[in-house]
Amino acid sequence: MAKPVLMFDSLSCCEGCGLQVLNCETDLLPILEKADIGRFREASDGDVDHYNVAFVEGSIVTPHDIERIQEIRAKTDLLVALGACATHGGVNFLKNFQDPDDVAKYVYGDKRAWFPHVAARPLKAEVRVDAEIPGCPINPREFLEAATCLLTGKPFKLPNYPVCVPCKLADNVCLWHKGAACLGVVTRAGCDPYLCPSAGHKCIGCRGLVDKPNTQAAKDVMAEFGLTVDDILREFRLFQGIYKEVAQEA
Amino acid sequence: MTQVSIDIAAGARAPSPYVPRMARILAAEQMTETERFFRLQAEGEAMRYEPGQFVEVMVFGIGEAPISICSSPTQGEAFELSVRSVGVVTNRLKEFKAGDRVGIRGPFGNHFDYAAMKGQDVLFVAGGLGLAPTRSLIRYVMDKRKDFGKVTILFGAREPKWLLFRSEVEAWQKRGDVDVHVTVDRGDASWKGNVGVITRLFSKVAIDAPRTWAVIVGPPVMFKFAVLEALAEGIPEHRIICSLERHMKCGVGKCGHCQIRGIYVCREGPVFTYEQVKRLREGI
Amino acid sequence: MLPQVLKKGDLGAWIEALGKTWKVAAPVLKETSVSDRTDAKFGWEWVVDPAEVRLDYTVTVLGPKKFLWPSRQTVLAYALAGEPNPQAVIEHEPQVLLGVHPCDITAIATLDAAFGKDVPDPHYLARRKDTAIVGLDCAAPCDESCFCLDMGSLHPESGYDIMLTPHRDRYFVEVKTDLGQQLLAGARLQPATKQDMQGRQAFTEEQRGNFHYQLPCEVKYLPEILDASYDSLVWEAIARRCFSCGSCNTVCPTCYCWDVADQIAVDLTKGCRVRRYDSCQLDPFAEVAGGENFRKDRSSRLRHRMFRKGKYILEQTGRAGCVGCGRCERACIAGISIKETFVQIAGSR
Repeated sequence: MAKPVLMFDSLSCCEGCGLQVLNCETDLLPILEKADIGRFREASDGDVDHYNVAFVEGSIVTPHDIERIQEIRAKTDLLVALGACATHGGVNFLKNFQDPDDVAKYVYGDKRAWFPHVAARPLKAEVRVDAEIPGCPINPREFLEAATCLLTGKPFKLPNYPVCVPCKLADNVCLWHKGAACLGVVTRAGCDPYLCPSAGHKCIGCRGLVDKPNTQAAKDVMAEFGLTVDDILREFRLFQGIYKEVAQEA
Repeated sequence: MTQVSIDIAAGARAPSPYVPRMARILAAEQMTETERFFRLQAEGEAMRYEPGQFVEVMVFGIGEAPISICSSPTQGEAFELSVRSVGVVTNRLKEFKAGDRVGIRGPFGNHFDYAAMKGQDVLFVAGGLGLAPTRSLIRYVMDKRKDFGKVTILFGAREPKWLLFRSEVEAWQKRGDVDVHVTVDRGDASWKGNVGVITRLFSKVAIDAPRTWAVIVGPPVMFKFAVLEALAEGIPEHRIICSLERHMKCGVGKCGHCQIRGIYVCREGPVFTYEQVKRLREGI
Repeated sequence: MLPQVLKKGDLGAWIEALGKTWKVAAPVLKETSVSDRTDAKFGWEWVVDPAEVRLDYTVTVLGPKKFLWPSRQTVLAYALAGEPNPQAVIEHEPQVLLGVHPCDITAIATLDAAFGKDVPDPHYLARRKDTAIVGLDCAAPCDESCFCLDMGSLHPESGYDIMLTPHRDRYFVEVKTDLGQQLLAGARLQPATKQDMQGRQAFTEEQRGNFHYQLPCEVKYLPEILDASYDSLVWEAIARRCFSCGSCNTVCPTCYCWDVADQIAVDLTKGCRVRRYDSCQLDPFAEVAGGENFRKDRSSRLRHRMFRKGKYILEQTGRAGCVGCGRCERACIAGISIKETFVQIAGSR
């Protein structure tokens, strides 16, 4: 049987997720034995006509991104969105909360006409996406798990519980008790062992919301900690602006 | 509250209850779009079980799923499963065929109390996949037919294409010593039988309530209304028997997933009387 | 055996000696900056330097449970190429948990019962058998969340090998088991003097003065009170604040529910089954394969946890489902308190 062909490409982003894949280092070797790499923008030249699995990082910000993702979709059997930009629009989504022309002016000045752009969006806004690995950047362990699932045909499932669970297991004192508005309480887990709270930083929600967050509790409890809805939305918008609950209140 | 006494040293040497044994698939057949039938034989010593128990079926590398045994020990050493493809493991089982092997743990749980039913009438009411656990007792009763009084089987499914064990049910209808009625919620062009929800079948059968046990297994909504019919017929709550579906993950009353209030369904169930289920409140 | 004492100054040497035979876990200082909202600056860790051990600790996020019941545990290993040959993975090595508070001693007894009853779980029990417990009595409640006196966990009668009672510059040493005697082989013990005996007595009096009952009823009535509250609106009201984040279960010393997942090695030749803590507060906990969820409302999940803690575990094992350690309340950013909940339902009856 021919080896499956994998492909890695990047749309508008920092390409940090591609780097995380390479950071798997020797753990990638067994995968390379089982699969061929048709293209890897971050690592090598070359391309092929057909892929079995395309891993695409970055969000859609330009008309070119739209063409590119459609092109990739047409050439691949399965499409996996890699990282916050591809799954939720990522930090690029922030520009949607500002005047598009102001944004263009700020970035490209008087040359802005040369750089057409569209409202930022995740891959699934344009094409069918078969699986998502969220995070900014992705957790290399989760990438390896997804890759193993793909090679064996086992469905890949994201954790459906918040960051609080692994954070408590790491024996961390809750950052709320240290005065930080940590978003871990409503953010999907799966980043461990690379937990921001373990390093003393509050969770900023890069993996998106857990299913069915209790937004009512969020407001009440945050108020008790002296925070307003606006404070929290500002935090949320960094990565979670795409959610209706967050976007509407903005 | 009595403290259970625990022997830690003995428990530390006990065999792990989470290690499956191997079983070989003797026969496999797709019964409907989503239900697949398997006849399995445990390797080594035969698996002894009772009607109403369940096993954990393991696909190596994928996981485990709790499945009701749908055969009766009176049928011999092999055992049978009717698996609905709804989860990761059961979808993978769709590809398994005769000769393939799976891991098996169990059997787990309590069982239908056929001894108590001896000499009395049994009314089976099964909806959809509810026929699978029910069939374990139906087959037992068929094989020991003389031990029981009047036997009635009411079986229903959403549409004709979802009827399980169709040829077997037809064979039961021809036996003459069992009263079998089948219905579908929605018929199709080829369907000549009853149409309508399963409770409509109650009007077709004569029930001698004081000497009848009702075994009712099916989706929650069907169970609710079938119980109302059985109660209306005068069958007491403690003689209405059901089998509950939960996601038993360990099978030994520890992991907590199948817990209904203080009850671990995997150990104290899956077979309960309506009297018990009613008290549990979260049962259905 | 004559009563003995260990000078606090000799503790380090004893731990050093223990470390030659056993792996030793004890509370250490983990956080130096914490706000007034919590005092959980200590944590249970493997001892690297005996000088780090802080037997003056108060509360910890996780209890010593994690050394007996790790949050992730491989229970089964098998091959994916050829014969699967599934084998149980049972790991344990001699370990000492040093400085376990009475509440956690009581909680470990609950875990022993849960894993030992009916079908024994050797994965837990083998670790438990290889574990020695050195208890440390509490002179005062750790903080306001504590209600161990109510839950009957302040004075465990067994479940430890040694009990240390601190008084001024020394520990009064009570040896409970033969294993406890062995543990003390390398300790510079001194016979207790008359003053030490008086100190022991003074500790008991101090303890009696510091701990107060907080529930309006005896704990033995909790199952009945909970039953009567089953349909109360209180669950709905509390659940409005609940994030279903699972923190309460994760830090609870008596929680033992788990989930399993099969994992495939990257080279695809081996597989294993890992079990890890699960939480009945998480939405998918009571879901079955077809998608039906038998506790889909937050309120029903919250009620389930309170019932497990106050009733079900007690009825199943005869041991405390809740030991009143206060960890769940401290871990909850919404401030949902099991103690307050028990008080509320007892009063609203």
